[in-house]
Amino acid sequence: MVEPMIPIGAAIAFGLGAIGTGMAQAKIGAAGAGVIAEKPELFGLALVFLALPETLVILGFVIAAIILFVLV
Amino acid sequence: MISVEYDYANARIRAMKSRLLDRKELEELAGKLDLESVINQLEETPYREDIESASVKYTGIACVEYALRQSLSNTFRLILSFVKGEDTQTLMEIFLNRWDIQNIKTILRGKNIHEPANEILESLAPAGALDDATLVALTKQLDVKAVIDLLATWGIEYSRPLTQHFKEYSERKDLVVLEYALDKFYYEHALSVAAGESYDEGIIRGMLTREIDVTNIKSVLRIIRDKVELEDAQYYFIRGGKELDVNKLSALSATRTIDGVIKQLTGTSYDFLASVPDEYVKMEKISAFEKELDTFLLHKALGLFTGDPLSIALAIGYLWAKLNEIANIRIIALCKTEYVPEKELMEELVFV
Repeated sequence: MVEPMIPIGAAIAFGLGAIGTGMAQAKIGAAGAGVIAEKPELFGLALVFLALPETLVILGFVIAAIILFVLV
Repeated sequence: MISVEYDYANARIRAMKSRLLDRKELEELAGKLDLESVINQLEETPYREDIESASVKYTGIACVEYALRQSLSNTFRLILSFVKGEDTQTLMEIFLNRWDIQNIKTILRGKNIHEPANEILESLAPAGALDDATLVALTKQLDVKAVIDLLATWGIEYSRPLTQHFKEYSERKDLVVLEYALDKFYYEHALSVAAGESYDEGIIRGMLTREIDVTNIKSVLRIIRDKVELEDAQYYFIRGGKELDVNKLSALSATRTIDGVIKQLTGTSYDFLASVPDEYVKMEKISAFEKELDTFLLHKALGLFTGDPLSIALAIGYLWAKLNEIANIRIIALCKTEYVPEKELMEELVFV
């Protein structure tokens, strides 16, 4: 029998990471679009900045995996 | 105000700012031999499209003037198109309305000296709320009264101060009466729109009150130079300045000397006027003081770039920077037409 709080903890870790990434990417994406409209040559740089917040959701995923597969 | 509205706009404005001509590029333009070389050089800057479209219709200085007006107008329309939010657009429109005032003044001046409609039209900057069709119709009117009547018929708000002061204008035959009425109306209206407590409204109000102070100091200097009666002087002051109220301005005018004004301004933000060389004070060369005051205002506006990045500050700062760039290019073009020496030309430019 799995302790019910364990999958809930994993879900919170992953879910909050995903929400944080979404909020950050919304702002960076809008700003990136503004920059690219004036300077298309900065597309690559804007894409890198847009991808940076992905680390949040990846960290959330790792924590969720640790909770599910190591703690259980 | 929702800050998310500014993400796109301000990133784009920052990118646009990076394309403004820097000091080196302006010095390069100023170093050109003649106007043709200046125009050729401008074709290698972000003004290329404007110059190309202007050169189809015009040559020489008219080409540059037309291109600059088009660039200014296009920039304003572009920024207004992507600055979202009803409140923000209203605040931006305050800034743009000054071009309506400027255009109406130009039309009134033109009609006052019976200039042909097409020549007046060429001097306008179609950047404000009045569209091209309205401006064309206004320039085609017979005289000053007909212009005011048309504005009133179409329910355009600027007709109110003009109608109120028309009798006085008719008696004195001095267009300054109508021009001051328009300025007063603009600033009173603008301050009433930006009267709230938000950060954006504070930014707009801060710039407007500074502008009122600067305009009033310029008026005081002219009043002294032209020896205007003290009773009449009060008429020319605009209320609502940041540091100088009407009483202080009257006291400044009462000194009757520019030296006295400078001494009275000690302790205010405008005491930098003391740095103007003594020879200009003695000669009562108002333009030297006006340049210092305009540079001060420009510094204040460009300081907005360090303000809240998710506010209207960047857009206002950019528009001032753009205006300064256009003023500098216009000075270069005009000086090249008149073959002004490069040293004198450089003194006229404003770098910030």
